[in-house]
Amino acid sequence: MSENFVAPGQQRYLRACMVCSIVMTYARFRDEGCPNCEEFLHLQGSPDQIDSCTSQVFEGLITLVDPAKSWVAKWQRLDGYVRGVYATKVSGQLPDDVRTTLEEEYRITYIPRDGSATEAD
Amino acid sequence: MALANGPFQFAADSESEDDNFNPAPADLSDEENDDESGQRATDKGAQRASSPAAQKDGNNEDEDEERPPSKSPLKRPREEDEEDDENGDEEEVEEDGDGGNGDDEEDEEEEEEEDEEDEDVQHRHRRKRRKDHRAAFFDIEAEVEDEDEAEEDEKEGEEIEDFIDNAHPDDIADSGHLEDDRRHRELDRRRELEASMDAEKQAEILRARYGKRAPARGYGEMTVVPKRLLLPSVDDPGIWAVRCKEGKEREVVFSIMRRMEERLNSRGDAPITAAFERAGPNSVMKGYIYVEARRQNDVMIALDGILNVYPRTKMMLVEIKDMPDLLRVTKTPNLEPGAWVRLKKPAKHAGDLAQVLDVTENGLEARVRFIPRLDYGVRDDALSSLTPDGKRKRPGMPGPRPPQRLFSEVEARKRHPRHIQGNPQTNTWTYMGEDFENGFQVKDIKIQHLEVKDVNPTLEEVTKFASGSEDGTENLDLKALAASLKDNNVTYVPGDVIEVFEGEQRGVVGRVTNVQGDIVTLKVTEGDLAGQTIEVPNKGLRKRFRTGDHVKVIGGSRFRDEVGMIVKIVEDRVTLVTDQTNTEITVFSKDLREASDIGGQGSLGQYSLLDLVQLDPTTVGCIVKVDRESMVVLDQNGETRQVLPSQIANKLPKRRTAVAADRNGSEIRLDDVVREYGGQQRQGKIIHIHRSFVFLHSNATTENAGVFVTRAGNVTTIAAKGGRINNANTGPDLSTMNPALKRNPAGNNNMPPPKSFGPDRAINQTVSIRRGGYKGLMGIVKDTTDSHARVELHGRNKIITVPKADLIFRDKVTGKPIDIYSRSGRGGFGAPARGGFGGPGEWSGGSRTPMGAGGGERTPAWGSSKSIARTPAWGRAETSGSRTPAWGDGSRTVNPYDGNRTAYGGATAYGGSRTPAWSSSAKTPAHDGFGHGSKTPAYGAGGSDPWGSKTPAYGVSAPTPGASGADSWGYTPGPSGGSHAFDAPTPGAGLGAPTPAALNAPTPGAYSAPTPAAISAPTPGAWQGGWGADAAPTPAVGAPTPAASGGYYGAPTPAAYGGAPETPAASAEIRYAEDD
Repeated sequence: MSENFVAPGQQRYLRACMVCSIVMTYARFRDEGCPNCEEFLHLQGSPDQIDSCTSQVFEGLITLVDPAKSWVAKWQRLDGYVRGVYATKVSGQLPDDVRTTLEEEYRITYIPRDGSATEAD
Repeated sequence: MALANGPFQFAADSESEDDNFNPAPADLSDEENDDESGQRATDKGAQRASSPAAQKDGNNEDEDEERPPSKSPLKRPREEDEEDDENGDEEEVEEDGDGGNGDDEEDEEEEEEEDEEDEDVQHRHRRKRRKDHRAAFFDIEAEVEDEDEAEEDEKEGEEIEDFIDNAHPDDIADSGHLEDDRRHRELDRRRELEASMDAEKQAEILRARYGKRAPARGYGEMTVVPKRLLLPSVDDPGIWAVRCKEGKEREVVFSIMRRMEERLNSRGDAPITAAFERAGPNSVMKGYIYVEARRQNDVMIALDGILNVYPRTKMMLVEIKDMPDLLRVTKTPNLEPGAWVRLKKPAKHAGDLAQVLDVTENGLEARVRFIPRLDYGVRDDALSSLTPDGKRKRPGMPGPRPPQRLFSEVEARKRHPRHIQGNPQTNTWTYMGEDFENGFQVKDIKIQHLEVKDVNPTLEEVTKFASGSEDGTENLDLKALAASLKDNNVTYVPGDVIEVFEGEQRGVVGRVTNVQGDIVTLKVTEGDLAGQTIEVPNKGLRKRFRTGDHVKVIGGSRFRDEVGMIVKIVEDRVTLVTDQTNTEITVFSKDLREASDIGGQGSLGQYSLLDLVQLDPTTVGCIVKVDRESMVVLDQNGETRQVLPSQIANKLPKRRTAVAADRNGSEIRLDDVVREYGGQQRQGKIIHIHRSFVFLHSNATTENAGVFVTRAGNVTTIAAKGGRINNANTGPDLSTMNPALKRNPAGNNNMPPPKSFGPDRAINQTVSIRRGGYKGLMGIVKDTTDSHARVELHGRNKIITVPKADLIFRDKVTGKPIDIYSRSGRGGFGAPARGGFGGPGEWSGGSRTPMGAGGGERTPAWGSSKSIARTPAWGRAETSGSRTPAWGDGSRTVNPYDGNRTAYGGATAYGGSRTPAWSSSAKTPAHDGFGHGSKTPAYGAGGSDPWGSKTPAYGVSAPTPGASGADSWGYTPGPSGGSHAFDAPTPGAGLGAPTPAALNAPTPGAYSAPTPAAISAPTPGAWQGGWGADAAPTPAVGAPTPAASGGYYGAPTPAAYGGAPETPAASAEIRYAEDD
């Protein structure tokens, strides 16, 4: 079964997680949460959280078959994530409170996926 | 996938990966072992070693695959519940691993432990119990923990932390046993210490201790490893660019995902590691997908049979150094409130300009305002109708979209009164589910439906928004506009002085020598690099100006073509004072260029600044500003309006000779400097005189280009051009206003020199100057004022201004001194003299007339020298009264110019023959001053009976002009202006004119008149009252009731009615005769 496949007709419902940039349908975010970030984003079953932490504006899809060996994954800092489809760029900003929680409680340095981090390099 | 079993599914997947396809991790472990045992592998080993991150990746990866569920807190509770299962799984996994790892089982476990602890304190519980089966030292610690679980959990982490930090992993097994006892004691001590601290402090310490590390897996590396260390190397898989169908990139990527997942499940062999596309809407990478794989053949295998991708056509290997560029991401600029965007989505508004009002926190939605396109339901019918083939029309965009217009509440109420609600105060409305504020539609729109880049709003579009503000002021935000226009390429031409403001060469100033595409070559003029020629990209350049430069606005801005001087420069915004209007405007430096011309055009077609133009038949205006297509005109009422050249009726030529009188009566002409009297006391030079309005120009103000308008009567002369005397400071010349002085000047003349109308007689006279620098010279008077004359000298080609008093008028031929006024005076004088009020020249003003009237007794005296000038009054006084009317009538009646006299004469004639006393009062003009029509009849009534009878007769005769001609009475015809007061109430006055025409011929006439007069309703009450005193039946009353009118009245009235004009007329005549 190919769980990560999204039929073209469903692609309009795609959203990308603003933290890990994984691209899934809204329904899947709602049903399963973000496979990488569920620990702190708690997207499962909460549409509000999905609205604020995922973005329907993203570009550059990446099919990540083997996150461990792929340079693309490494470069995109996706290594360590699950297999799936990711975006190169996710527009939108994580809400400040989520971001604060992320950084203070989970000690995760949030790297925005909207391209602002790249410019800093 | 069902919600409940999701995580387990996941776990199962991972394991199956391990089992089925994942030889790679095993290899990895082998290599690591090799490294540690000193056998550095030649090929792969080196590559791993070169990248410590990669090595760690390997470990993590193992772990990931072993226990992915640990990442998810949501999964955790379940895991605990079914811990046994988990443990069982893990054991299996470990056993699997053991096959490959051999001796290093412990080692690996250690590392695993370390990671675990890094992860989260919460995990500990589970881990602890699990470890029961493992190494001995864990058991011991576990016992300690068991004593006091809550605190222990936390402390334990620390313990182990130290433990691991201090010991090399390889040594752990041994040293752990050796130091066992010591550690226990130490632990006890620490526990005591910590027990004494309160929980908060502990938490603090713990946070400090664990806070900085222990990020979740994956994230820690992100922070640690900078991008440059992640650059691809030869050991990374290659990336191939594969053609695909344009627009289908995303589908292809998903197809690859599906393909890979299917393959993984069946064979566990992944030919490729990743595939991606970068086909954004504006991307140059359309039509390609990029596949990351070890070998090109793998790509072929992976893509074989996938739709829309063409691996068999040209496939390109991306060079390693280009790989990062494939994934370069540039940040989309954040939308700021005030920024300009274009709408993409509501199809009706596609392409329309909109302004961002607000952006949601996550930056994905923006509240924008734009000009609605509403038809207010006008086309509703058309929309609902069916197409000819019976199908419903598609609700898309049929027909042309309505034009952009601001929302109108009135229009909306016409057809949809129920669909509109809102607040008129704030001007916010909801109509058909859309929000409108101040006429604009306001809507939340997702940013993917907005065009953020390359908006390039035109000035027209922007002005629509600007003018939409309530007070009409323009609230253009230049900054927002700048942001929208930033993408515009500025073109530089050789010679421009430019400044580099971006990049390495920042700060360099130079002059453009060459422009090629986007590269500008400039010769540096300042600084260390002076004299060198450098090339810089167009992007980082801006034009440079200095304060004081004279520049011209060249486009982009509404100030286009303005020319002015720079007064301020802030970054790329330049403020300049325009030459034309002296106002400050701010524009971008890119819109400027050094100006060689001054002042701009200042004219539009035939109209130029300060011209006087006719706007409509009653309005004139002075052009105070000239724009590109329109101009601003200050009209005579002091209002400015913007007009197009087509709205101007015509241009009024400047009349040099225009003259007006200021409030002191002094004449003012063009170019005189005058000051407003009262008000703001503005002072200015007269540029136009139009009727009673003067347009003044002042340099003291810049408003309306310094032009203001006022009434001529509201200014006082400050300085007259050409040396005309000004009496502004001396005040009005009282001597010219005092009739007494006029009459008896101090000089020997007992008469003021009578002044004639028309041009001054002195003009064109030959004069000699008898005083001053030009004494003795002769000349011809060209122009005069009250007191001065401009004399063209015979001897020199020069016109000088000389006081008239200094002139001697001379005969042109003989050269004898003459008195020009006396010479022509007497003859021409006669006519006015007879009128008595014609007055000498000095009295020319109408206002003087009453004065003349006041001195009424003088008039006859004055006229006495001429017999023809004799006034009736005078005549009456001197000669018999009977004579007076005789001639007086003749002369008066035809005398057109003096109504006063006529009435007067009439009165005289009338009274003169009877009672001088009575007539004397009547005859004076003074009588007119207070006399009223009502009075006269009263007079008549008061006189005596026989007189009373006469009064109506008189009244009757008065209105019959036609008759009067033949009448011996010779009474005043229509124009009895002076006795107006007298006549007005009399019936004849009102109706005399029409009546005689009708009735005069057959009747002796005099009498026929009153009858219709009596009939006519308008007869004033005064008249009636006057008659009332005399005879009960007034004519007015009598008219409708002829029977009532007694006495002699009875006769005429019915006569008029009866259609037997002769009879009453005759009777009237007879009666009159009797009266006389």
